[in-house]
Amino acid sequence: MNAFWLSYLTVREALLKGTLLFFFVVSNIVIIFFLFAIDSTNGDLSIFGNPITPRGIPDFNPVDFLFLNIFSSSTFWVLLFGIFATAGLIPAMLEKGTVELYVSKPISRPLLLLSRSIGACAGIAFNLIYFAGAIWLIIGLKTGIWHQGFLLAALTVIPLFFFYYSVVALIALISNSTGFAIMFALIFWFFSSALNIREMVMYVWWDNVVFHRVLDLLYYATPQVSPMLESATKLIGPDIMKRTGLSETAGFDSLPFLYSLLSSSLLYALAAWRFSKKDY
Amino acid sequence: MPIVEVSNLTKSYTSGVFRKSSIQALSGVSLSVNEGEIFGLLGPNGAGKTTFVKILLSIVFPSSGTATVLNHKLGSIEIRKKVGYLPENHRYPSFLTAIDTMKHFGRLSGIPSRTLAARIPTLLQLVGLADWHKVKIRKFSKGMLQRLGLAVAMVNDPHILFLDEPTDGVDPIGRKEIRDILKSLRSQGKTIFLNSHMLSEVEEISDRVAILNKGHLLHVGTIADITSHQLEYEIRFLSPPPPATLHQLRSFCKSVQQDQTLLHVAVNDRQDFQKVLDILRQEGIEIESFSPRKSRLEDYFMRVISTGAE
Repeated sequence: MNAFWLSYLTVREALLKGTLLFFFVVSNIVIIFFLFAIDSTNGDLSIFGNPITPRGIPDFNPVDFLFLNIFSSSTFWVLLFGIFATAGLIPAMLEKGTVELYVSKPISRPLLLLSRSIGACAGIAFNLIYFAGAIWLIIGLKTGIWHQGFLLAALTVIPLFFFYYSVVALIALISNSTGFAIMFALIFWFFSSALNIREMVMYVWWDNVVFHRVLDLLYYATPQVSPMLESATKLIGPDIMKRTGLSETAGFDSLPFLYSLLSSSLLYALAAWRFSKKDY
Repeated sequence: MPIVEVSNLTKSYTSGVFRKSSIQALSGVSLSVNEGEIFGLLGPNGAGKTTFVKILLSIVFPSSGTATVLNHKLGSIEIRKKVGYLPENHRYPSFLTAIDTMKHFGRLSGIPSRTLAARIPTLLQLVGLADWHKVKIRKFSKGMLQRLGLAVAMVNDPHILFLDEPTDGVDPIGRKEIRDILKSLRSQGKTIFLNSHMLSEVEEISDRVAILNKGHLLHVGTIADITSHQLEYEIRFLSPPPPATLHQLRSFCKSVQQDQTLLHVAVNDRQDFQKVLDILRQEGIEIESFSPRKSRLEDYFMRVISTGAE
């Protein structure tokens, strides 16, 4: 119960921080845009009168194409805004004068850290559910197609963000700096994307087996942001990624989520261990 | 009955990655705090007072030594359930109101909502913030934040309160009110551990004090022992005594200091003081009044800190 209240306060704190509020405002602008832009009165789906016609992809459902584009672009901004909005929450808890108030309460430090992280992710989750739900409702009402795949894909971004946030939590706890946590999280995202295509991009840097195995180890030992995003996108259409040439396989792959669950658990455990041993 | 027992507590902080340096914050501190007393921990800045309290609350971990609070070993979550803590320079979430702050920290202490609903208005009334309960605390003055901090520290009805500079930034009226609250809590059987620079306040409300300097415990004792007169007297005259008389007194007194018509004399025993009075009467010097000079805690503190020993 103690942990619940701390998570609740974290959500309130996150909402009061300008970045999350900005996130909410941007979400509303995009929702209003789609409310007025999408039209399917004459049977063809269009945006401001321009029909959605995916060129070069035969028999492609325009609704799938629309959801694919919305999901791909919005997840980028959700993750980016999410990191900016929540990276400061752990350093804020560790500020002198604040940390003493929390660690002197009858709640273990690992639970304190986890509650704070859950609270940070819950703030993002509410915003994401609100945004995805509104978009899904608008397109559903206008086209009569209630696309469950899009909703499922949007929901998978919540655990994805929680796994990704383990990197922020660990770095924020070690550095006690919001700026450093944001910077490291963004570099990690870029690095994670590169690791996803390491055979094509990184192996050629140095043709050495040990180096290749180190890259493989890093890929499996850290949250797999890009593979998770890729896999989530596949929920929008069973073969959508394959047909657009963005992925080699068609179906949803749960392995990146499983690996990320394990690696983020390790990162959270490291952060909790560090937090438990530190003097404040 | 001791409620806090500390034995040989040591804490050293290390810093630096390549060139490690160590700062000894506490060196073998041993003391005990009895149930129902107000215990004052005194010391200059950097003496180790805050570190000492933080160790008892598991905010800082000791390098060596042992301690129990309420018969629980350090680190036990049971300690944190039964203590209240007002840290120095605390920062409560500024977007909360006074009542929300108390609810939040009460819930984190595991207090049921129904109990909190009954207790919070009483505590806000006690610290004089009843009319401010719906105001966001970012609008509070330093003194109001201290009062709120005191109320938050009491929200779990603790057995023992650890207060680090509780009257810091509080106006004289507020300080008097806080002192009265602490006295009232003592009368209810609560134990209060007070860290403070305000020696006069500590002297007024504490039962016992400890003096800490550079991590070393220099003295533990009752206020009554410290402030009892040490064979020092003040004698007031209608006119100043002549130098020859003062010279005569200095021949057997430990010290004689004249300030206009006031004479401070320190003697070796009571017979010497009778001798002082006899000489003054023989010289025909009219005495207006005389009284034993009570030592103040501040004098004792300064003496102990400067000599480094009792």
